[in-house]
Amino acid sequence: MTKPLSLDLMREDVAAMIHIGSAEIGDDDNLMDLGLDSMRAMNLVLLWQERGVDLDFSQMATRPTLAGWWQLVKRHIDEIAEARS
Amino acid sequence: MTAQSVRAVPDRSVRELPLTQAQSGIWFAQSIDPANPVFNTGHYVEIDGKLDVAAFATAVRQLAMEADGLSVRITGKDVQIVEERNRPLLELEDMTLRSDPKGDALAAMQTDMNSPLDLAGDPLAREMLFRLGAERYIWYQRMHHMVTDGFATGLVTQRIAEIYNATVAGGPKGAELTALDVAVDEEKAYRGSERSGRDAGYWHEALRDMPEVTGLKAGLARSASSYDRVERMLAPDICDSLLRLARTTQLSWADLLTALAGAYFSRHVRRNEITIGVPFMGRFGSPAARVPTMLMNILPLRLDVDEEGGLVQWLAQAAGRMARDRRHGRHRGEQMRRDLGLLGGQRRLYGPLVNILPFDALPRLTGLETRLTTLGTGPVDDITFTFRGDPAARCLSLEVDTNPLLYEAGETQSHAKRLANFVGAAVEAALAGRSLREVATVTDEERSWLLERLNDTAHPVTDRTLSQLLEDSFVSFADRQALRFGGRSLTYAELDRRTAALAEALAERGAGRNAIVAVTLPRSLDLVVALIAILRAGAAYMPLDLGHPRERLDRILASSRPILVLGAKDSEPLGTIEVFSPPAWPTEPQGRALGQTAGGSAAYVIYTSGSTGEPKGVVIEHAAIVNRLEWMRQHYDFGPSDVILQKTPMTFDVSVWEFFLAFFSGGSLVIAPPDAHKDPRAMAQIIRDEKVTTVHFVPSMLSAFLAEPGSRGIAMKRVFCSGEELTADLRDRFHERITAELHNLYGPTEAAVDVSYWPAVAGDSSRPVPIGYPVWNTRLYVLDDHLRPVPVGVEGHLYLAGVQLAREYLGQEELTAKRFVADPFHAGERMYCTGDLARVRADGAILYLGRSDHQIKLRGLRIELGEIETAILSHPSVTQAVVDLREDQAGEKRIVAYATLEGGEADDGAEGDILTHAGRFLPDYMLPSAIVVLHALPVNANGKLDRRLLPAPVFAGGRGLAPVTENEKLVAMLFERILQAEGPFQVDDDFFDLGGHSLLAVELMLHLRETTGHEPGIGVLFEHSTIGKLAKHLDRGAASEGAGLQPLVKLNAAERGRAPVFMLHPAGGLCWCYNGLARALGADRPAWGVQALALDPDEQAPETLDDMARDYARRIAFIADRQMIHVVGWSIGGILAQAIAVHLTEMEQKVGVVALLDAYPCDCWRDEPDPGPGAELKALLAIGGHDPDGLPELPLTREAVMTFLAESESPLGRLPAAALDGMVRVVALNNRLVRGHRHGRYDGPVLHFRAAKDRASDGTGLRPESWMPYIGSLDIRDVPLVHAHMTGAEAVLHVAPMLKAALLEHEMGRAKGDEP
Repeated sequence: MTKPLSLDLMREDVAAMIHIGSAEIGDDDNLMDLGLDSMRAMNLVLLWQERGVDLDFSQMATRPTLAGWWQLVKRHIDEIAEARS
Repeated sequence: MTAQSVRAVPDRSVRELPLTQAQSGIWFAQSIDPANPVFNTGHYVEIDGKLDVAAFATAVRQLAMEADGLSVRITGKDVQIVEERNRPLLELEDMTLRSDPKGDALAAMQTDMNSPLDLAGDPLAREMLFRLGAERYIWYQRMHHMVTDGFATGLVTQRIAEIYNATVAGGPKGAELTALDVAVDEEKAYRGSERSGRDAGYWHEALRDMPEVTGLKAGLARSASSYDRVERMLAPDICDSLLRLARTTQLSWADLLTALAGAYFSRHVRRNEITIGVPFMGRFGSPAARVPTMLMNILPLRLDVDEEGGLVQWLAQAAGRMARDRRHGRHRGEQMRRDLGLLGGQRRLYGPLVNILPFDALPRLTGLETRLTTLGTGPVDDITFTFRGDPAARCLSLEVDTNPLLYEAGETQSHAKRLANFVGAAVEAALAGRSLREVATVTDEERSWLLERLNDTAHPVTDRTLSQLLEDSFVSFADRQALRFGGRSLTYAELDRRTAALAEALAERGAGRNAIVAVTLPRSLDLVVALIAILRAGAAYMPLDLGHPRERLDRILASSRPILVLGAKDSEPLGTIEVFSPPAWPTEPQGRALGQTAGGSAAYVIYTSGSTGEPKGVVIEHAAIVNRLEWMRQHYDFGPSDVILQKTPMTFDVSVWEFFLAFFSGGSLVIAPPDAHKDPRAMAQIIRDEKVTTVHFVPSMLSAFLAEPGSRGIAMKRVFCSGEELTADLRDRFHERITAELHNLYGPTEAAVDVSYWPAVAGDSSRPVPIGYPVWNTRLYVLDDHLRPVPVGVEGHLYLAGVQLAREYLGQEELTAKRFVADPFHAGERMYCTGDLARVRADGAILYLGRSDHQIKLRGLRIELGEIETAILSHPSVTQAVVDLREDQAGEKRIVAYATLEGGEADDGAEGDILTHAGRFLPDYMLPSAIVVLHALPVNANGKLDRRLLPAPVFAGGRGLAPVTENEKLVAMLFERILQAEGPFQVDDDFFDLGGHSLLAVELMLHLRETTGHEPGIGVLFEHSTIGKLAKHLDRGAASEGAGLQPLVKLNAAERGRAPVFMLHPAGGLCWCYNGLARALGADRPAWGVQALALDPDEQAPETLDDMARDYARRIAFIADRQMIHVVGWSIGGILAQAIAVHLTEMEQKVGVVALLDAYPCDCWRDEPDPGPGAELKALLAIGGHDPDGLPELPLTREAVMTFLAESESPLGRLPAAALDGMVRVVALNNRLVRGHRHGRYDGPVLHFRAAKDRASDGTGLRPESWMPYIGSLDIRDVPLVHAHMTGAEAVLHVAPMLKAALLEHEMGRAKGDEP
């Protein structure tokens, strides 16, 4: 089974996608400046869907940083929890 | 709270925004074609279940409020206004009471999709909900491409679903969409940014030296009003393999698919360097990512497909390029087009579009089932390959969208199958570490159709050899006539005896199996006897043309070593080889045994041009040529009644079937006189006289033959074309003039004459005309550079296989091995590489596309340019040489050689010296028409020769004195017209030095005949090839005897200057009456009289007046040579003038003044009774300048009229009797033709000179206004004379000034009108 999504796992996935070391990616680095592009970002969304988190690509696209994305993930998890309660 | 979730509250007072650049692109495209609804994008979602309609309407309402970009009106090329009333609120449509709720809903949606929108007023987005039943709905969403793109449509759809789900099921509410001005502002900021400068710089570099981009199909890439779509799912195992490849290579599967689609495209255009279009969302990393509007960009992706290296490495390279491109993807494609000057639809920035859509577009509505169907995604300019879905879900579809103006329906389907297959195979190859080279382009199904079905030609053929079959016929048809030549003939039995006798003599001299006997005889009975005798002796015959240079002949003799030459008695000896001439031949056989032939024995050896300068001797065996001949006999049903004309020189392999086929079926063979094959008039005569049923033409010669008036109306069984491309126009022209089947054959000398056939018979509308299907026991393959079959419609190399292949190039093993290679599809067999390019049509017929190498075809002869280059380079002062086939004038192909000289400077006469030198090695047909000496050969950036920069040769005249005599002037004018060379010409200018060649010579003769009524024959031109000499010949010859009666007569001395006037003969057919008027038009106004052909009793009379007018129009256009054409005609001449104006307009000639001298439409005469006897004589009087009605006492007899004419000193009185009879005949003919003529409409102005003295009082009812239905406008001028005097001296005083003024006025007006 796949691991649940975490900030560090996201960092690893992004690093693999753009072929750089995960230590090189800071939370607030603009991922586009590091070589991420729309097509690779879409692949990440698909990958994370497999990990159980359905992220909205357009929201990710407005601010491509790990910190920004992690916020989206957290909000997504919160909203699901809220909806369930 | 994040920054982007705080929605900027739009300032309601600011309603006006500029367009995004992407919107501007769509705006321009739509404004070019405002009625085209293809810019409407749309889809519908079928919803099953208990939809909360109120909640849904609320969700749509909220979306409409958020997405202000959807409610804009576009009021100009850079203004959009957010219009409150255009917000797309949900429209509800209850279909439940309809008999077919869904069908009606679909129809309503289709109607809406097909309705073009007014960008300035109509709502550009629409949301509809059709209720089909209690729990069945259709949600229809339609937006103009101005306000959305694929990404924005997804945003809108998902956002509505999100709001609905939050309302009905308490799902997450999600973030609001972003307002339009955010996207507009962001783009504005980008445009001024440093980044945009960097992006522009990147693309400038990326597109530098991009080769001209082609699409899959030629033609204008501009969207039709709809497109065709074929969709298919990729097999789950392809999805799995794709993901596996993505994982092992760490490349995204999307990039893999894009690159492979590029490789697929490259296979179809036979180029490794290709450019495809890749849609780019244009908003990643920008707050505009949540603005629903049109922002998409299309980036050109340049790929250099590597067939040889590891596929994985190439895929990684391609993905790297895509990543770099995307980083600079904001730079607009429209801007790249402008920078590269690629405006308009003809020149492209990219070929196919490849679109990857990894997200599921389907909205999920809580508690409901949904299915999405796309109705339109915007224009498809050419072809779009879309991969949609997620391979991880094993759900990946391929959609192929095509422009129906460029692709036929079946092609879309084929691409979908083939690309899906290709992707699957390529992914497997990559996983296995292989290269692209090993991946087939076509599917297995296509492969078996191309290689097997189309080549299923197995057919039993006799195992008798050519000589045995001939011997069989000699027995079967013994008493029939076999052969005719120049009034002599031979029966089959006689031919048997003669050939047996000679065969015995040859055998005695060593002729036998695999020996070669050369033949140099001219066309004659003896020639046929020689060829058959050689075959019967068991040897192979080898035709040689003694007209070829000595060096070439010597090389051929050295490499082929014939044991004997069969040549004319007085012919030059060929080295040490014995010449055995007809007078020495025995005529009665002694009954000695002859050499036996087998299927594998050599039958003939024909030499063709070779690239290294060494001619190639093609050896054809009996079994090969028997297959060809038996196929032809049976396929075309040749029988004993057939008469075949032998006219092709024997060194050209078409002659082989001409020589022997008639004998296979008991028919007869007619041998054309030597050199007659170059003379269309002689051909037409022989075909008629000898009742020929079958004849062959090289297409260029067929064209000359059809231009020959004598060919009109010939009826035969069949005409075969081969040797060069048969154009569709030529085929159509053929069927207009000649009644016969026309068949197009194709084949190189290396495969026993022809290997394919196509019936280009009447009714065939193929464009271009195919070379067709393989003959018996023959296979045609169209393969790419790696010997893989290419798909239907794709250019490839044509290979041949089967029983007709030649054995070898004599004595050239290496070359044989290079051109005859192993057939990869049939173990142990060979195939021949033709060097021709071809493609397979959807019906399997092969189309010939041209040569792939340095070899050309000129007038049916295959020529290696390399052989010519070698000859020129062997000149001691030439340092570099390039030879090119040029077509500087449409339809006029000429060989031109370019050379650089030692020291760089050209001496006077260097060109002539080089040409003379080359002439020692090359036959005439290979000699360049011009040698151009250059300082240096033009090269491109890579230092390679750039053929496009080679200058057109200037064929300039100017030797000797200016032409003086009438005939000199005439010949000079004809040279100028036909050679299209730079004048003015002088009397010592030579036709052939000026670029003339044999077909142009034929044309010259034709026009000479059409102008003078006499033709000296083509042979005369070879002897008298300068203007002065040819003119002198005409002075002496028959042309001078008929002076004044020729079809085109110059009426005044004016040479050049103003546009010429053509005066059309009246009823009598002569134009002498116009002399005064012609002279009065001024010294700068050439005037020509067009006289009736039928004055010459040998000429066939035209069948209708319109035929006559068409023929005149053609001659007039030739003389006018693209100048404006004025026509004047009196009486019937006026009717002709109007009809000629109609034809000239059709021919796109510039028609000037059309002046009628008291002429009236045919309707006025149609119902009149035929003029009684004496009418012709009356007309003769009128032509002589007398009013016949004013001579009541003159008896209307021939003698009385002649005497009267002579006494009145009319020039007619001095005409020979034959000419007068001709005139009488012409008068009768014209009276008849006028009654049958129906006028076409000429839309221009007509100037009418009315004979006022007749018309004022008469009751004839002849009114110029009767022309009105047939002309554009009418200007009537009265001349106070009677009809009969309208060209006389007094008339000239009245008419000439008005006519002159009209001519000038027309030319000035026209000149002005031509200015933009």
